[in-house]
Amino acid sequence: MTLQQQIRANRVRTTFVLFGFAILVGIFVAAVYFAYQPGVAGFIGIIAIVYGIVSWFAAGAMIAAASGAHPVTKEQQPELYRALENVGIAAGLAKTPDLYMIDDPSPNAFAAGRDPEHAYVAVTTGLAKMMDKRELEGVLAHEVSHIRNRDVRLMSLAAVLVGVIALASDLLMRITIFGGGNDEREGGLGAVGVIVGLVAAVLAPVGATLLQMSLSRRREYLADASAVEITGDAEGLAMALAALRDDTQPLHTVTRATAHLYIESPLRDHKGLRSSLGGMFDTHPPLEDRIAVLEKLGGFTLPAPASQPATAQ
Amino acid sequence: MIFLIVVIVVVVLVLGWLMYTYNRLVRLRNETDQGFSGIDIQLKRRADLIPNLVESVRAYAAHESGLFEELAQARASTLSAQGVAGAADAAGKTGAALGRLFAVAENYPQLRASENFKRLQDELTDTEDKIAAARRYYNTVVQAYNTGQQTFPASAVAGTFGFSPREFFRLEDDGDRAPVAVSV
Repeated sequence: MTLQQQIRANRVRTTFVLFGFAILVGIFVAAVYFAYQPGVAGFIGIIAIVYGIVSWFAAGAMIAAASGAHPVTKEQQPELYRALENVGIAAGLAKTPDLYMIDDPSPNAFAAGRDPEHAYVAVTTGLAKMMDKRELEGVLAHEVSHIRNRDVRLMSLAAVLVGVIALASDLLMRITIFGGGNDEREGGLGAVGVIVGLVAAVLAPVGATLLQMSLSRRREYLADASAVEITGDAEGLAMALAALRDDTQPLHTVTRATAHLYIESPLRDHKGLRSSLGGMFDTHPPLEDRIAVLEKLGGFTLPAPASQPATAQ
Repeated sequence: MIFLIVVIVVVVLVLGWLMYTYNRLVRLRNETDQGFSGIDIQLKRRADLIPNLVESVRAYAAHESGLFEELAQARASTLSAQGVAGAADAAGKTGAALGRLFAVAENYPQLRASENFKRLQDELTDTEDKIAAARRYYNTVVQAYNTGQQTFPASAVAGTFGFSPREFFRLEDDGDRAPVAVSV
């Protein structure tokens, strides 16, 4: 896929995500309407619309707050900032993305924002400390690729919209199970309402999760390939991914809603747990596979990891 | 009647393709222009570092006047360079002159220890990295633009509307890699 094709595809997918969100909200509102109170349903509907609009503009800031990322200046992190500037220039971005840091020893990074002019790259302090210039440029180029091909808008929206749906369905589940208002209403509608409510409460997060899954697996390979195009250094990125693979510290401030944003899955418990589902519920392709693709691209072979547990495939 | 419809459909398709191809070439041409101005900004930035650099070296090595003269000329040629080839030529000269300057600086430990010189050297290294980054972007988009014009049938559109291939930005001592073509 060329860059233009990626941008177009992302525009279409973004529309789908917004529609998907609207449909899920519709189901949710209908469930509340039947199971609980029409007045509350209307109220929730209005909140959802406002939330959707705010998300469009402020998804980046919301994710920064949720993941503990804070902006840093060139003076505070000259080396990192310069690397980001260089990668941004090589990628042909009109503006260097803002640089954010997360105080966490576990190495990881993500990018978020509405469009290339309102985007930032966040890296953990652990990543900045652990990686050398080549590896850092590889990671930053990967994130800048997400910004350049408009992945960030789609992924940021998915994060904040999926997050709120998960929260809302959780709430609905409680209301339905522990009997909110339906006791006071006449029996017939109440029973139907409970069923609708339960179905919606189960369907909403499943739909949201599937939506999120569909987003990030292939696009990680694409971003890796674009990163190599930007830096001209497949080995640097491969070494960075190997370093991420060999690190076992969990990232602290991460939720299921933001997991797909990171360069590598921050949810450690998913690691090595590739079941018969073939990792269908992983947000990221295995690092081994990504490194293998880079090795083929660059025509080199990284030394095998020191103590590698056999990867089940 | 059917014949007419077929003709209209074909004409619409051809016009649509023509428009798409033309717009794509315009976009690529704009990208090469942007890419070149990106290199230009960094080259000018490097040229602007030269006077301060010369001043700080002069304080310790006043007799290296031949070198200062060479640097002044390199700076002037960068600021007045026309086109890609001209800019590349001036960039090559500037790079060579700066290389000599730092070789000379090796002989003056006091100069190398001076804070001002270290800061300038650091800034220069950063600018060199940015020139390299800007060149990489430019050469990548030039390759896309040139390929876009040369492949048939877009070449017919390129010929008709006067699109012409762009030069790559090459330096004489080009040890660096050609743009990596990655297809996915």
